[in-house]
Amino acid sequence: MALSSSVLATLAEIVGPDGVVSSPEGRLVYECDMHTFYKGAPDVVALPRSAAEVEAIVRLCRRARLPIVPRGSGTGLIGGAMAPSGGVMVGMNRMDRILEVDLPNRCATVEPGLINLWLTRAVQDRGYFFAPDPSSQMVSSIGGNVSTNAGGPHCLKYGITVNHVLGLEVVTGAGDRVQLGGRVVDRPGYDLTGIAVGAEGTFGLVTAITVRLLHAAEAVKTVLASFSSIEHASEAVSGIIAAGIIPAALEMLDALMIRAIEEGIGAGYPKGAAAVLLIELDGPAAEVEAQAERAAAICRERGALDVRVARDDAERALLWKGRKEAAGAVGRLAPTYLLQDAVVPRSKLPAIMREVLAIGERHGVQIANVFHAGDGNLHPLILYDDRRPGELERAKAANEELLHACIAMGGTVTGEHGVGLDKAKNLPLQYADADLNFMYRLRGVFDPDRLMNPGKLLPAHPACGEGFRPARPRLPAGAWI
Amino acid sequence: MAVAGRSVGGALAAILGREGLREDDAARAAAAVDGVVPRWVARPATLEQASGVVALAHDAGLGVVPRGSGSALELGRPPARADVVLDLGGLDQVLEWSPDDLTVSVQAGVTAGALAARLAAHRQLLPVDPPGAATRTLGGLAATAASGPLRARYGTLRDLLLGVRFVQADGVITWGGSKVVKSVSGYDVPKLMVGALGTLGVLGELTLRLHPMPESERTWLVRAHDAAAAQAFVDGLLDSAIQPSRVELLNAAALEACALPGGAVAVAVSIGTVAAAVQAQGEALVALARRTAAEAAAAPPDVWAGYARACAAPGGARLRVATLVSEVGAALRAAEAAAADLAPGIGARVTGCAAVGTLRVALPGIAPGAAATLVERLRGLVAPAGGSVVVEAGPRALREAVDPWGPVPPGPLALMQALKDTFDPARVLNPGRFVGGL
Repeated sequence: MALSSSVLATLAEIVGPDGVVSSPEGRLVYECDMHTFYKGAPDVVALPRSAAEVEAIVRLCRRARLPIVPRGSGTGLIGGAMAPSGGVMVGMNRMDRILEVDLPNRCATVEPGLINLWLTRAVQDRGYFFAPDPSSQMVSSIGGNVSTNAGGPHCLKYGITVNHVLGLEVVTGAGDRVQLGGRVVDRPGYDLTGIAVGAEGTFGLVTAITVRLLHAAEAVKTVLASFSSIEHASEAVSGIIAAGIIPAALEMLDALMIRAIEEGIGAGYPKGAAAVLLIELDGPAAEVEAQAERAAAICRERGALDVRVARDDAERALLWKGRKEAAGAVGRLAPTYLLQDAVVPRSKLPAIMREVLAIGERHGVQIANVFHAGDGNLHPLILYDDRRPGELERAKAANEELLHACIAMGGTVTGEHGVGLDKAKNLPLQYADADLNFMYRLRGVFDPDRLMNPGKLLPAHPACGEGFRPARPRLPAGAWI
Repeated sequence: MAVAGRSVGGALAAILGREGLREDDAARAAAAVDGVVPRWVARPATLEQASGVVALAHDAGLGVVPRGSGSALELGRPPARADVVLDLGGLDQVLEWSPDDLTVSVQAGVTAGALAARLAAHRQLLPVDPPGAATRTLGGLAATAASGPLRARYGTLRDLLLGVRFVQADGVITWGGSKVVKSVSGYDVPKLMVGALGTLGVLGELTLRLHPMPESERTWLVRAHDAAAAQAFVDGLLDSAIQPSRVELLNAAALEACALPGGAVAVAVSIGTVAAAVQAQGEALVALARRTAAEAAAAPPDVWAGYARACAAPGGARLRVATLVSEVGAALRAAEAAAADLAPGIGARVTGCAAVGTLRVALPGIAPGAAATLVERLRGLVAPAGGSVVVEAGPRALREAVDPWGPVPPGPLALMQALKDTFDPARVLNPGRFVGGL
């Protein structure tokens, strides 16, 4: 849709002429996030510098009835920060200040465009860090992390983004700037902060975030164990948890992924192993020492081919480098892939991995696996070459079947990436009509006119339509009227 | 629509069966909430029955007060209506426990004590330990956002509730969240239900994240000569690599109530991990205490068994104070001073989680008027930092003299009202008891 010149002029007044991107080439940059399947360029991009400017943009869009799509660094994996129905995209990149660091209260208040890792860099020399660590943390914004409720390898021990958010300043879809929560942890009333984290921009635009900072652990140890089968590695995972150890991270790579990483960057993983476990322990030195030893012993008891403890920070960084760059390394195996993010109960890991293999064979696609084994969060990469006819369709079919298998085992469709446009259609697998209807009405509380990031998070499903009411219990007929 | 009492009773009996419905005077009087006597006491045996009761109440224009063990009925404002008390104690089944996954699904009426007894077999725990938790129901603990000393390490039910099945105000059974430890599929509905006092839905089933029980645990009692010294110790502790599981402040009266060695104020610090690390961190803790002009000694092994006594306020009132971590010492001192001024001689017991900035002030035998003034005075003190004072328990007169929740800023309050208007427009669930009279 072409925007009226008065809308463009008003936008330029709000954010300044250098804060408006309206050329076709300029807008093209914003047509997708890292899930490049889904494309939709906004009609214009606005780059505000303050909450007041954000508020003015929302008011303008409300008057003009224009969809509003927030965007941080665009590193999302779900078709979230793109504009399927056009409208105004609000890029938060120029709002990237650290507003306050309050170490006595172990928290910081930042603007949404701040890069995740920059916050840790700003406080690490004083012994603190920001815990959520998605693999994209060198480039992803904290506002984006909040919107998708991002996880990361270390959320096994430390929890996902919502566990680290104390407060938010939000401009709601109704155009109101509201402070939710804050530095004090408890406050009377509904937990508006908790429900707004992970709303994927459908409630409004986040303009400031108060996050917890954690004190850095005294010691860190990374253990690498290789196994001849996924089953043995999965048993080791269960054994470690059963021993009462909650590692900071517990990651698994399968044979195909190991090969890709070794051929690519060479992380020092043993060749020929069918599974590698990366176990990271952090905490007080004596605890880390004892638990690393115990975890290594459990891996040996479960038939590990090789168990190594990183000797120094350089080796530790190298072991992690392979894991963090896994998604890039598969480029050696195939030009493109579909990335899944489903979760199964941890105890179902061996069963789901057998199923993944079978699904790959059935559909004639290769599936490389790298995942957060500690919390059962799978990241199968379904490889395909879109230049070969039929491969994409087979990959998609394998993807759908895999999701169904995870749900059948009691899992969830997304563990940390979010729903976006990509998985909205899959929510009915996991939720009944009544559940979806509840969420739909919840959204309306914050965004009554449904201008915020339309098409994301909730499916176009009967339960999400106006006027739909789920079935109520049957009352005894006639007895009481 | 107007409905005759007798026919509603008949419909309730049809839903609940004879054993699930009480309408005799004795049962009704026993279930009274703040003196409001219900017309019916419903005790469903299944979630479907609970759903039927709520649907009926909705259509008949009745108010429903859900209850678990009944230990937190003094939290909140007196109810505007309480036609049906919905006793969820009959929903007491552990539905699914998967030790390998560190998750458990329970019905809302299971008590924390009953669950703990089950979990001990695999050395697992649900780390939610407000005073008296053992006999409280998990649904009640979640609805009231109850917390105790262990939140210093494990957070609260906000962090532990993965999934929830609840009955909406019109009776529709709804699920939110997931049964796995990590999920971002759709809105995080469980967050909305924790601390909502059942005003957006009656909690029926909970899926909870569990933790392994530490291999070894010890507690040290760090005694300081005043609150400022205690604060200095806490600041040093939180800025160190020590990872405590409890950092609980106790004033002199609280120490006395749980028969611990006396002093002006003490911080009870627990460390739970492998034995070698408990030893090493304990030594670091003692050294830190010396540096900050406090004195540390090993606490008796049963130190937490008496903790509930430190929070008890027979014949009085109990407050929850939330403030900044850096202000807990000052808040403790202010609570003591206000109590000494307004109700001399009652021996106000102040405890609290210094690691997160929450205090509990128990005021045994305090008169409602004095308690109301004290609440206002403390609110004035913590408000600038964004803190709050909530009346957790106390007589109706106190909760009529002051708003037990305290003020909520207009922006968030408008959203809370919109939530209530959306999900309970007819004001069926706990009418009038929540913040802003919701």
